[in-house]
Amino acid sequence: MSGGSPDEQPEATALGAFLARTWECDPAGVRVRIAGQSTAGARRRNLVLDVEGGPHPGRYVATVLPTADIAILSMVDEAAVRTLARAHGVPVPEVVAVTDDESIVGGACFVSEFVAGETIPRRVLRLVAEHGVGSRIVTQLGGAFAALHAIDPAEAPAAMAAPAAPVTAALDGVGVAVAGLLRPEPAFSYVLRWLRDHRPAEPAARRIVHADVRTGNVIVDATGLRAILDWETAKVGDPMEDLAWVCTRMWRFGEDHLTVGGLGAVDTLRDAYVAAGGTWDDERFHWWRVLVTMRWGTGLAGQAAMHLDGRFSSVVMAASGRRVAEMAHDALALLDT
Amino acid sequence: MQYRPDADELLDAVADLLERQVIAAVPPHLQHQVRVAANLCRILQREAQLGTTNDDAERHRLAALLGHDGSLLELRAELAARLDDPAPLDAVTDRAVRDALLATVRADLAIAKPGYDATAGTP
Repeated sequence: MSGGSPDEQPEATALGAFLARTWECDPAGVRVRIAGQSTAGARRRNLVLDVEGGPHPGRYVATVLPTADIAILSMVDEAAVRTLARAHGVPVPEVVAVTDDESIVGGACFVSEFVAGETIPRRVLRLVAEHGVGSRIVTQLGGAFAALHAIDPAEAPAAMAAPAAPVTAALDGVGVAVAGLLRPEPAFSYVLRWLRDHRPAEPAARRIVHADVRTGNVIVDATGLRAILDWETAKVGDPMEDLAWVCTRMWRFGEDHLTVGGLGAVDTLRDAYVAAGGTWDDERFHWWRVLVTMRWGTGLAGQAAMHLDGRFSSVVMAASGRRVAEMAHDALALLDT
Repeated sequence: MQYRPDADELLDAVADLLERQVIAAVPPHLQHQVRVAANLCRILQREAQLGTTNDDAERHRLAALLGHDGSLLELRAELAARLDDPAPLDAVTDRAVRDALLATVRADLAIAKPGYDATAGTP
């Protein structure tokens, strides 16, 4: 976060006018101050707004997708799925305004209520250790997943990805990624083969999945889970994908004995999910864990390729190539668990 | 032959500079990149030390699995192609392939992230 600066005044004014239009009130009465700015999400900008006057004064966050960037899910659709999830009891900051007008702050944006707490992984894990709330957060995540997965997917925004056969789609996706590697990686070929040999049936019911719930995409405080963020990856798919992804090792940030995001145990997640009405399937869970681990490995390989061919030259992207072995290791080791 | 410092010692000097002075001197949005760059120097130091031995060991493992020698890249490509072929492997071969691949990723991790494969907990 960095403090507000005079340069931000035109954006603050534009956001004030946008909120006044949304709230159908006099724009002169709505005063916005940009209290901080974070680009932690890398692609997106998050502006903390202090709003005075108007019908709903208070602290908000404006999430902006820079114009040049390609949205996975449009900001309008993301706002819709956030609102839908929130209406069904998933902890999500309430969206109060959304626009695809890119002229207001240099990109489509939505404004949501400000939720206090930590998102930066190492700070999250420190706070969780201090207050002993890791298991509680995992329980809350299990409940949130069950609530999300209980929503009728017919209610999802029409533009959201909704493969008819999510298992096949995911398998085909990693197959394409492995075929596109800069050079053959036998470990990935082996894991892909295992995934094909052990593929589960398509899910009995496709559900809305967030697909990126993890330490770093949640807000927590001393009392537990406050909100789930970053819904741009939401799609209709296999609910077990969500439960597998949050257990991937990179989201533990070194707390490797706590499988679920460095926070708690899989048993805790499973019990909470089932208690809240979710249907847990150990075999599918395991299959998805292998798949998402390997998929992230091919994603890291893709980052290295983007550095090498100049699409995104950066020492961080280059270094991703030296992280591929981590995912190859985890995927192979998972096969024996 | 180059006079000293040798490659390892030079990488050490660069990593030290990045870690001890540059990180503190650059704006926040560059600090992560500098940290990563310093870590890459450490990786290259380990690669200079272990890379050739690791590659030889991997080539020997692959040659044993495939029944003939070749360059490391050729052998890797051949094994990958065999694995991409859906024709079944017998159980003994399957296990041998998996063990060989795990040995290779562990050797890669000894360069890229020492200790990663030794940590407790499920992968």
